[in-house]
Amino acid sequence: MTNQLSLQQRIHMAFPGLAAAYSVDGLLHYRVEKSRIPELTQFLHEKARGRLALLFAVDCRPLAEKYEIQYLFAFASDHPWVLLTIELAGHDRLFTSITPSVHAAQWYEREIRDLYGLIPQGHPDLRRLVRHEHWPKGTHPLQKAFPWNKTIGRQQADYRFRHIEGEGVFEVPVGPIHAGIIEPGHFRFSVAGEPIMQLEVRHFWKHRGIEKLFEQQTLSTAIALAERVSGDTTIGHSLAYCQAAETLLHIDVPRRARYLRSLLLELERLHNHLGDVGAICNDTAYALAHAHCSRMKELLLQLNDRLTGSRFLRGAMAIGGVTKDVSAIELSEIVAVLDGIEKDFAELESIIFANASLTDRLETTGVLTERTGWDHGVVGVVGRASGIDQDVRRDRPFAAYDEVPVNIALYRYGDVRARLRVRMDEIHESIRLIREIRANIPQGPVAPAAAHRPQPGQWALSAVEGWRGEILYFVMTGEQGSIHRCKVRDPSFVNWPAIQWAVVGNILPDFPLINKSFNLSYAGNDL
Amino acid sequence: MFRILKKSLKTGIVTGQHPHADQPAESPSQAVCEKAMPFRQSLTIREVDTGSCNACEMEMNALANPIYDIERFGVHIAASPRHADALVVTGPVTVNMEGALKDVHKQTPDPKLVIALGDCAINCGVFKGSYAVTGPVDRHIPVDVRIPGCPPRPAEILKALEGIRRPASWK
Repeated sequence: MTNQLSLQQRIHMAFPGLAAAYSVDGLLHYRVEKSRIPELTQFLHEKARGRLALLFAVDCRPLAEKYEIQYLFAFASDHPWVLLTIELAGHDRLFTSITPSVHAAQWYEREIRDLYGLIPQGHPDLRRLVRHEHWPKGTHPLQKAFPWNKTIGRQQADYRFRHIEGEGVFEVPVGPIHAGIIEPGHFRFSVAGEPIMQLEVRHFWKHRGIEKLFEQQTLSTAIALAERVSGDTTIGHSLAYCQAAETLLHIDVPRRARYLRSLLLELERLHNHLGDVGAICNDTAYALAHAHCSRMKELLLQLNDRLTGSRFLRGAMAIGGVTKDVSAIELSEIVAVLDGIEKDFAELESIIFANASLTDRLETTGVLTERTGWDHGVVGVVGRASGIDQDVRRDRPFAAYDEVPVNIALYRYGDVRARLRVRMDEIHESIRLIREIRANIPQGPVAPAAAHRPQPGQWALSAVEGWRGEILYFVMTGEQGSIHRCKVRDPSFVNWPAIQWAVVGNILPDFPLINKSFNLSYAGNDL
Repeated sequence: MFRILKKSLKTGIVTGQHPHADQPAESPSQAVCEKAMPFRQSLTIREVDTGSCNACEMEMNALANPIYDIERFGVHIAASPRHADALVVTGPVTVNMEGALKDVHKQTPDPKLVIALGDCAINCGVFKGSYAVTGPVDRHIPVDVRIPGCPPRPAEILKALEGIRRPASWK
């Protein structure tokens, strides 16, 4: 409590006359004049060491003739979030860009410009981001006036890549369709010989209009869509969505259901981390480790299938709890499978680290420094490998993590090996957590209590530590239990720009390895 | 070295240790089976993601793991569409990927099969109607085989591929 006061007091001391519009446990909300936003965000970022966690716009029509832009800052674990809101009333389409002082805002502001047609003045790079060049001018799909099922025309135009010119400098285009079975995205390298001088990431090939599709759903039906934002993070996204909806519907989740949610989230983390460890080894041509890891991953997917009827745990999450209880027999089956995998994996770890040529490929490759990571607001596994000590499970405990605390794996080198080590440590930690959950799980119901009908215009924010990192959802209600706005932020959206800096100076053949060690989602990024 | 050998011996052969899938609801047509004739011994697949959620990709990757080991049926994954006999397309076709899908289809040499994998590729699934989605795969390129599911399990994909390459009518 003292810390919350101190942050509030510091803001008050630096900006007298600024009153918090809203202050609940864990969130300070300020409504501010739009002209003051650059100095305020600069203060929060540089002086108060806040991380820009989310920046998005809301079209308030038809309730009010205005747009709102919201800036969410996150601080060290015992401080509350700070949410700043500015208004663009009537025909106003301009706001001041904060990118010159808060670098992490760059993609967010370009996204707002594409989806809403609001112009961030002073932004150093106003090329299109989400809308590719062939979308006609004036197409801003998240404006309320834009029909969700409109057919978009085509125009002729080209994206301007950043070029490096000089003798012996070549450009290597990769994608959108890649050599492996992975998602589409474009990478443009400038190389001089083998070392990479510059990488430019060009994404949003699989933009499916998810945020607009959310607005066609009601609070209770949107969960199927949340599960499909990023297929490998089914539980992470559906849990984050459910938590926001539960806040709006005033539902208390039963204790047993909270434990089961933690269990499902850790199962999801396990199979993804095992797959990643194998894939990183495979990209150094170490096929043996890949074969063992994908075998263990398959065991977990089959376990998921037996538990929930879906290998990716789809349909397991419900607003208010979970759809299906897990019996004591099933819990002991889970722990028995995990005991086997832990032993199996420990043997594999000693094989992996006994291999000198593998270590040689991993060490000092793709270094993301703590400073670069901080400037981009990097989260999750990638952040923890670069010394950024951030984990929602500890900082803002959700599900059962307040009763089953997590130990965080933290490394400082920021290279591929550090990211591999974080994943390996988290595999052991997840198995430990699931054992704890089994030992402590209380009896009781798993189904939701009676629902409350929210007023239009109410909103809720929720955060979940998925296996990639912090997933954020902002949900605002509309008329009759519908969704007015749902902002989804997958950790990939903030981590993708950082990869452009992690590859500089590395040789081109190491890029697949570096990319795999980040293993970011294209679907969750493109939305 | 001994550690690796010991690990391999201890693990043994895991291939085929998966729950078995039911027969697909609809059996492939005669025309598709005839089209698949040249690929009975060997089939090379190029996977194209046109906007899926990544779950179908993970199941395609799972096909290559030691448990399903799709190579034992003569199915390979190619890195380029020019080396492919079949295109496996996942996801609804987004506005941004439409051009790339048509290019890939053009680059794949004839004769070729097009397999729509997963509900999204067949009918757009939960993304149906969105401004950013131009329609299912068969709106843009002719589709020969449809494998439904969200996502289809690897065993179901194996079964469907077996269905077109070794149809019951030939046995």
